[in-house]
Amino acid sequence: MIASKPILLAEDNPRDAELALAAMEEHHLADKVILCHDGAEVLDYLYCRGHFKTRLQGNPAVVLLDLKMPKVDGLEVLRTIKNDAALRPIPVVMLTSSREERDLAESYALGANAYVVKPVEFHQFLKAVKELGVFWGMINEPPPEGASRSAGRSS
Amino acid sequence: MNEPNRHQPVDVGLDSAFPPASPAEEKSSGRVSFLSPLLHTFQKRSIEQRVLAGFGLVFAGILVISAISYRNMTVLIRNGDLDKRSHEFIQCLGATGEAIDDAENGHRRFLVTGDESYLAAYNTLRDRAPEYIRYLRELTDPGSTQRGHVSDLEHLINQQLQEEHAAIELRAKTGFDSVRGMALTGVAKTALDSARRLQAQMDQEETKALTQRVVESTTTTRSSIILLTIGALLLFVLLAAVYYLIRHDITERRRIADELHRRGELLEAANKELEAFSYSVSHDLRAPLRHIDGYASLLAKAASISLDDKAKRYLQTISESATRMGQLIDDLLVFSRMGRQEMLRGTVNLNQLIAALRHDLRHDLQDRAISWTIAQLPEVTGDAAMLRQVFMNLMTNAIKFTGTRPQATIEIGSLDNGPDEAVLFVRDNGVGFDMRYANKLFGVFQRLHRADEFEGTGIGLANVRRIIHRHGGKTWAEGALGEGATFYVSLPRVRPLA
Repeated sequence: MIASKPILLAEDNPRDAELALAAMEEHHLADKVILCHDGAEVLDYLYCRGHFKTRLQGNPAVVLLDLKMPKVDGLEVLRTIKNDAALRPIPVVMLTSSREERDLAESYALGANAYVVKPVEFHQFLKAVKELGVFWGMINEPPPEGASRSAGRSS
Repeated sequence: MNEPNRHQPVDVGLDSAFPPASPAEEKSSGRVSFLSPLLHTFQKRSIEQRVLAGFGLVFAGILVISAISYRNMTVLIRNGDLDKRSHEFIQCLGATGEAIDDAENGHRRFLVTGDESYLAAYNTLRDRAPEYIRYLRELTDPGSTQRGHVSDLEHLINQQLQEEHAAIELRAKTGFDSVRGMALTGVAKTALDSARRLQAQMDQEETKALTQRVVESTTTTRSSIILLTIGALLLFVLLAAVYYLIRHDITERRRIADELHRRGELLEAANKELEAFSYSVSHDLRAPLRHIDGYASLLAKAASISLDDKAKRYLQTISESATRMGQLIDDLLVFSRMGRQEMLRGTVNLNQLIAALRHDLRHDLQDRAISWTIAQLPEVTGDAAMLRQVFMNLMTNAIKFTGTRPQATIEIGSLDNGPDEAVLFVRDNGVGFDMRYANKLFGVFQRLHRADEFEGTGIGLANVRRIIHRHGGKTWAEGALGEGATFYVSLPRVRPLA
């Protein structure tokens, strides 16, 4: 079932996280969100290790990734995901304050599926996060489990 | 406005980029006032021309010295030949004189003794005289006095020989007594004396000519030595000057290259710093602003029942201010990027560009009455995306500031300004501006209208100016309050040397 897939939100700033969750709440998506506070935690979740050792198997519907995070930054996480055949199909959306061309170029070069600049205006931020949640969490059909393995074999 | 002059040669451009080496230099050139205009024109020449002029002078100097040396050498060689001839002439003259004397003495002895062996000298003179004369004649120039003297001498010798011959015949036929008188006094006394005098005179004249020539040769030699010395010195000075010029130029160029390199490094470092700065601005400054607006909105929502209108308005203002600051930061970042972004130059068709912009703007203009006049525009050289930004800003400005007009007119055209430059303008019949503030129009965040009259942050024209400056062009505006405005940009038709 599609709806059961969680949305992984990587956000080191607790206020941004709270605002994002508030936005998700409007569409009752908040309970689907798993919040990670840095890049290392994202990788722990994806590889089911550390804090997430006991979680249910399966990839998230989408990873919403901040660029600037402590320990392992967003680009590093993105690189790890896209270099791992098992994780590569997971849609990754960069959700960041940076509009720098360098960041955009690098993100897309590494295989990001979308790049969203967090708007300063709350209403627009609300709208952006909501639309992301709705699109990636409900509208978009996520890759089937195991897709990566067959894809990995054929390539 | 300080626009770079693109059409100057590089050399001059570099010279003008740095101040003169020292004020002392100028002072010293000012002292020789009559030379200074000459020096000035010389200094205005490029280094290549100066070096060429220097080598030209050296070459001319070598030519002059060679010509004069050649002439002097020719004179010396000719004089040497003449001297040799004179010496031979004098020698031959002496030999002739001796032969005459010997013949005279011999024939007198014969007259006395009748011994024919005494006639050997006479016979020798008789046989050799034509030879002597011919030789003497050869050693003189035709038409010269010496040549005349030689003929006279020939005549006198012949006369002597004839008279002596007659005496000898007489002695042989009639014996000593008939020639006694002759033997005592000599038969050809008059001719002989004349010949001797003539010989002495000729000798004297030739010696005099010889002495004169020696003096002339000495003078020529001395002047040659002086000339060669001075010439060599002058050439040395000239070559030294040329060497100095070249070395000075090389040193200067090296210094400028080092300076440029150093400045380039500084600039690169500054650019890196700026990049890091704008990165953190875009990333770190925006987050708190988002939080201010976010929490103000959340507060307004959470406490909407308990808040009165005044408190709601306060929260609204907090949100708006945060949003506006976010907008200003974004604009500033775009402006900064516009200055750093690499330019992709190409030929830009402005008519197509403006048609595309009008197409993009059509939705914003649905409820507006605007009459557009767009002339045939020239093609320019530049970065298409940047120039699109320029005309986007100028056109949206024109649209914005004609918003209060029931019928807006916007005209886009070009002025003829020579083959190198295209001047384009966007004219509107909007609210215009006071020319007193014309210089403020293109500044960052400079606005001539209150925020509640016309929206905007005031970055648009600053971007226009920055882009046009990067293209090597200029921006200016004309207008009057309530009577519309015209914004001009100049763009190079050909790519400037960068």
